[in-house]
Amino acid sequence: MTHAADHSPVLERARPEPAKHREPRIGFEGVMMTPGLIVLAALSIVPFLALIAMSFSHVRLLGGVSLDLVGLRNWARFFTDADMWMSWLRTIVYFVLTVGLEMVLGVAVALCLYRVLRGRNVLLGLLLLPMFVAPSIVGLLGRYLTDSTFGLYAWVLRSVGYSGDILGSPVSAFAAVVFMDVWEWTPLIALITLAGLSSVPQSVREAAAVDGAPGWMTLRYIVFPAISNVLLVALLIRSMDAIRYFDIIWVTTNGGPADATKIVPVRLYETAFRFFDLGYAAAIGLAMLAFSIFIARTFVRLLDVRGLTR
Amino acid sequence: MSATEAVPRHPPVTAAPRGTPQSPLEETGRGTRWVVWVVLALFMLWTLVPLVWMLMSSFKNRTDVTAATPQAVFQPTLDNYRGLFSGANNLTPYIWHSVLAAGISAVLAVCLGSLAGYGLARTAMRGKRHLAFWIISTRMAPIAAVVVPLFIIFRGLNLIDTIPGLVLAYLTFNLPFAIWLMSAFFAEVPPSLEESALVAGCTRWQAFWTVILPLTKAGLVTTFILCLVFAWNDYAFAVVFSGPNSQTLPIAASQLVTQTGVDWGQLTAIGTIVVVPMMLAGLAVRRWLVTGLTLGAVTGE
Repeated sequence: MTHAADHSPVLERARPEPAKHREPRIGFEGVMMTPGLIVLAALSIVPFLALIAMSFSHVRLLGGVSLDLVGLRNWARFFTDADMWMSWLRTIVYFVLTVGLEMVLGVAVALCLYRVLRGRNVLLGLLLLPMFVAPSIVGLLGRYLTDSTFGLYAWVLRSVGYSGDILGSPVSAFAAVVFMDVWEWTPLIALITLAGLSSVPQSVREAAAVDGAPGWMTLRYIVFPAISNVLLVALLIRSMDAIRYFDIIWVTTNGGPADATKIVPVRLYETAFRFFDLGYAAAIGLAMLAFSIFIARTFVRLLDVRGLTR
Repeated sequence: MSATEAVPRHPPVTAAPRGTPQSPLEETGRGTRWVVWVVLALFMLWTLVPLVWMLMSSFKNRTDVTAATPQAVFQPTLDNYRGLFSGANNLTPYIWHSVLAAGISAVLAVCLGSLAGYGLARTAMRGKRHLAFWIISTRMAPIAAVVVPLFIIFRGLNLIDTIPGLVLAYLTFNLPFAIWLMSAFFAEVPPSLEESALVAGCTRWQAFWTVILPLTKAGLVTTFILCLVFAWNDYAFAVVFSGPNSQTLPIAASQLVTQTGVDWGQLTAIGTIVVVPMMLAGLAVRRWLVTGLTLGAVTGE
């Protein structure tokens, strides 16, 4: 956290003086934080411990919830399940494709928008709209647009010679869910990148122009280094959400056809709420959590080491 | 860049009016301008066509909405919306559940989050770093990993299929988000302001309530709206925790997809109802969106 702790003599003095009895002093800030942190602890630490306990048990739901310890059985299954490994592989491909495409397209659009001087705000406002659409609605809308008999995009594709059922065959279904995600979240990358571009000092860009640097060189040696921190933030924010959301896949293909889009969160939902094998689902959940904690660490360290890009 | 041609046309200016380049050296060549407009036009099409198509389809009648050749010109009708608010599957309770669950969780998140965010921004305690890390990793935890233990806990507490259950579920991501974001907004306010309030005789609480909080109004509104959008758009929690007494709008939309077929006219109408309020709310805080969505790591233009 880089919000530098502000040591101020006045603020110090305003604190109650606990010098007499050395109790653990909380101070005004501590009092302010208490209610929020208690709720947060109840909502994060308790479920986390429950998740660990569940991953070592067989969870019974009928006649009241009860946990029967089974040792490492869920974990043994987790590491030997071939389908599970395929799901991880698919998740990685999905992750790299969506986040990669979003970064490339987002940066390209931001660079273009940056060149537009008149009406940039109106354009940006329109481009941002997909971000506010509920992911489940994006999925349902995607189903409507790609339906093989009346879908608008299926019709367009038919006119260029592709007439398969888009969500019906593995490769095209995978591509379709990737593009739905790209449709929704590219604007976020563009928005963040544009904020970074606007903070590149004009004098530096002018100096490059005076030195006769061609446009692409200015981009390569002036602009990209200046916005690299912002790009990294965009990448991390997107990565964390990419593993969070799976609504699109859940409402479009539900993991099918032939497991082609069954990424890890979808498999977890299926395990937990279709087969009610909650112990095994907990083990999968912990593995996913490890990944997101890794991203959170990188994010915090980035803010710490390089300083906020403010 | 055609810098040399551009120079004589613009006399040296210090601040160019809106719509002209800030510096003549920055002027864009004609070729680049073409590329820029083509890319933007294509991207606009890609972005807006699905949304416009959804809006149009919600006003189409039963035959137009599933016509084999997509109908761009049609006789608009309100039948789909009328169907949603009359007859067997009335949408009103779903809207009410969505408003309650999303609204209450956003209000709670902002209240608790601004208090804790202020504390986090100003505290000098040891372990602040670990505290911050705990908060951010709670926000980033995958929904699928949270939903499984919460399901067991909520079953024990009889919170399944209740609005309070949904509110709590939404707080798992909205509360850490609000704490983190508000603390970024509070960190922007110089501590000297509180100092002068304290010197003038305020208590710490008065300084917070009357001086600092009004200065972060934009932050409060942004946090509230983003929390509202996240909760309103949620599907993963609602599909597990909600039943007939608490189903939200995204669930209503997905329930229209049945084995026997889908009423796409009504579905696009629900989609429009879900999407439009959030778009308006989101655009209302456009200036602070970058700050909000990057959790305060990047500030906007």
